[in-house]
Amino acid sequence: MPTDTPILEVDAIVRHFGGLQAVDGCSFAIQKGMLAALIGPNGAGKTTLVNLVAGALPLHGGRVLFEGTDISGWPPHRIAARGLVRTFQISREWAQLTVLENLLVAAPGQQGEQLWNALLRPSVGRQQDRKLVARALDTLDTFGLYAMRNEYAVTLSGGQKRLLELARAVMSQPKMLLLDEPMAGVNPALTEQLAAHIESLRQGGITFLLVEHNLEFVEQSCDHVVVMALGRTLATGVMAELRTNPEVVGAYLGGDVVERAAG
Amino acid sequence: MSAVVFYLATIVNYFFIYNILAWGLNIQFGYAGILDFTYITFMAVGAYVAGVTSLGPPQPGTGVVYILGWHLPFPIPILLGGLAAAALGLVVGLLAINRLRSDYLAIVTLSVGIILYSLVGNLTNLFDGFDGLVGVPEPLNGQVHLGVNTYTIFYMAVTGAVMVLLWFVAQRLLRSPLGRTMRAIREDVDVAEAFGKNTFRIRLWAMVIGCFYAGVGGALLVGFVGAFSPDGWSTLETFIIWAILLIGGRGNNWGSVLGSFLVVAVLSEATRYLPAIPNNAFLEPALRNMVIGAGLIVVLRFRPQGLLPERKANFSEVRTAAPGLEASHAD
Repeated sequence: MPTDTPILEVDAIVRHFGGLQAVDGCSFAIQKGMLAALIGPNGAGKTTLVNLVAGALPLHGGRVLFEGTDISGWPPHRIAARGLVRTFQISREWAQLTVLENLLVAAPGQQGEQLWNALLRPSVGRQQDRKLVARALDTLDTFGLYAMRNEYAVTLSGGQKRLLELARAVMSQPKMLLLDEPMAGVNPALTEQLAAHIESLRQGGITFLLVEHNLEFVEQSCDHVVVMALGRTLATGVMAELRTNPEVVGAYLGGDVVERAAG
Repeated sequence: MSAVVFYLATIVNYFFIYNILAWGLNIQFGYAGILDFTYITFMAVGAYVAGVTSLGPPQPGTGVVYILGWHLPFPIPILLGGLAAAALGLVVGLLAINRLRSDYLAIVTLSVGIILYSLVGNLTNLFDGFDGLVGVPEPLNGQVHLGVNTYTIFYMAVTGAVMVLLWFVAQRLLRSPLGRTMRAIREDVDVAEAFGKNTFRIRLWAMVIGCFYAGVGGALLVGFVGAFSPDGWSTLETFIIWAILLIGGRGNNWGSVLGSFLVVAVLSEATRYLPAIPNNAFLEPALRNMVIGAGLIVVLRFRPQGLLPERKANFSEVRTAAPGLEASHAD
C-alpha cells in the first residue's frame, strides 16, 4: 500500500516555549498511502509537532513540505484546504451544532460560504447542501451515528464524539489525516472499531499519521513508526524492529511499555 | 387620544430601531461569537454621520460646530451612517480579530469605545463635542411636511421598511452555509480553522455586517430624535443591547425581537409609571437599568439560552442526492 512518493516531509523543525525546546530539529518523511504512527514518551513533543505541521503554531526553524510544496508559515485553514487535515487530542465537536451540521461545515468548497452567494444567491448554497447532506448522512451511517444526526453534538457520549471527530475529518475529503491520539480514553471495543475505520479509509487512499500511545494497535496496524523523544526523531521503522532498538526502549520507562506491547 | 397614539408610535419606533440594533449584535455574537463590548460606539458613528450629512453647513453664531454639513436627502444619510459604522468595524476587526482570543477582543473593543468616546467629546469641531448635534432634519419631512405627532406615525413606516429589509438579510445569512460556518466558529474557532475555514475573514464579515446594522440603527434614531450627544452612547447603552440579545436568546432573530419588546417596550416603559420622587432626577434612568439588569439575571438563571433559544437546524431525510428535496433550516 505505501508508495515511494513522500506526501509529508518534516525537515529539521524547531519550536521552543521560552527556554524549553519542545521540538528540536525533528525530521522524518511519510510516504503516500502509509498508515504511520508517531510515538514517544510523554513530553517528547508529539502534540507540538502536530500543531507545527498543521500550522497552528509558528515554526522557529526548519520547514514542512506537503506533496512537495513548502507549507511552512501557512495559516491552518490554507493547509487544511490543501488536504492535510488534523484532529485534536481532546474531542472538540462544535457543541451547539447538530451532528449533521458538524459534518456539513467540515465539507470543503461550499460556495454558499461566500458572502455574496449567502446573501444574493442562496440557491447556490442550498443546491450544494443537498449533495453534502446526502454524503454526510452516508458517512454518519458508516460511523454508526445516523440515529444521532439531528442531536446537538454536545449530547453525544465520549465514544460517539471520537467517532464524530473521525467522521467529520472524512467529510473534509483529506489527502492526509493527522490524528492526535484518536484512541485516547476509548474502550477496547471502540478502539477496534476506530482501527477498522482507519484501515478502510487508508484503503480508500487517505494517508495517516497518528499520534498514538496504544502500542498494540501501532504494532498490528501501522506500517511505519516514527519515534520521538526530547523533540527529536529517535528512530523510524516498523514496530517489530523498534521494540528491540535499545535507544527506543531506553526512551520509555525502562523499556516496560515497549516490551509489554511486544510480549 | 392623539397623545396616546403619539406615545405608542414613539415606542414602536424605538422598538423597530432596537430590533435592528439587536440583530446586528446577534450577527456578531449570536452567529460568530464576537464579544463586542463597544457595539454602541458603532451605533453612535451611524448617528453622527447620518446627522452631519443630513444637516446643512453649521451656522456661525449658534456655537454648534461640526464637519461635513452636506444636507443630503433621505435615504443617503442613513446609508452613509451604516457604511461609516461598517468601515470603523472593519478597522477594529482588522486590529483586534486577527490574533486575539475572544476575551482579549472584548477588552480591545471596550478600549476602542472609551478612546472614541473621549475623542468625540473633546474634539469639538467633529460633532460638536459633549454638547452634541441638534436640529437634525427629520427624514423626508421636507417633502411630506407633517406635524410632530403625524410625523412620528409616518416615521414608523420608514423604520419599519428598513427593519423588514434588514430582517431578511439577517435571516438569509443565518440560514446560509456561511451562517452555519459562523456558528461553528462561535463554538470552536481553532477547529473551524483546522477544517479549512478562513476564520479571520469570516469573523471580519460578521463584525462589519453587525456594525452596519448598528450604524443604520443609529442613523434612524438620530432622524427620529433630532439630536445626538455622547450622553446617548455611554458604555451602559451597550449593555442594554446585550441584555436584549441575551434575554431574547442569542442566535435567534425572533429572540432579539422578543428581547427588544420586553426591554424597550415593557421594562423601560414600566419604570416611567412609578410615582415621581422629588429631587432625584437620576432615579428613573437608574431604576430602568436596575430593572433590566434584574430581568437579565432572572433569564440567565432560569433559562440561560434565552427566552427563544437558537433553533436546531433540521434537514430533510435525503440519503442519496435526490434533486428537488429541500435541505434548509426549519423555520
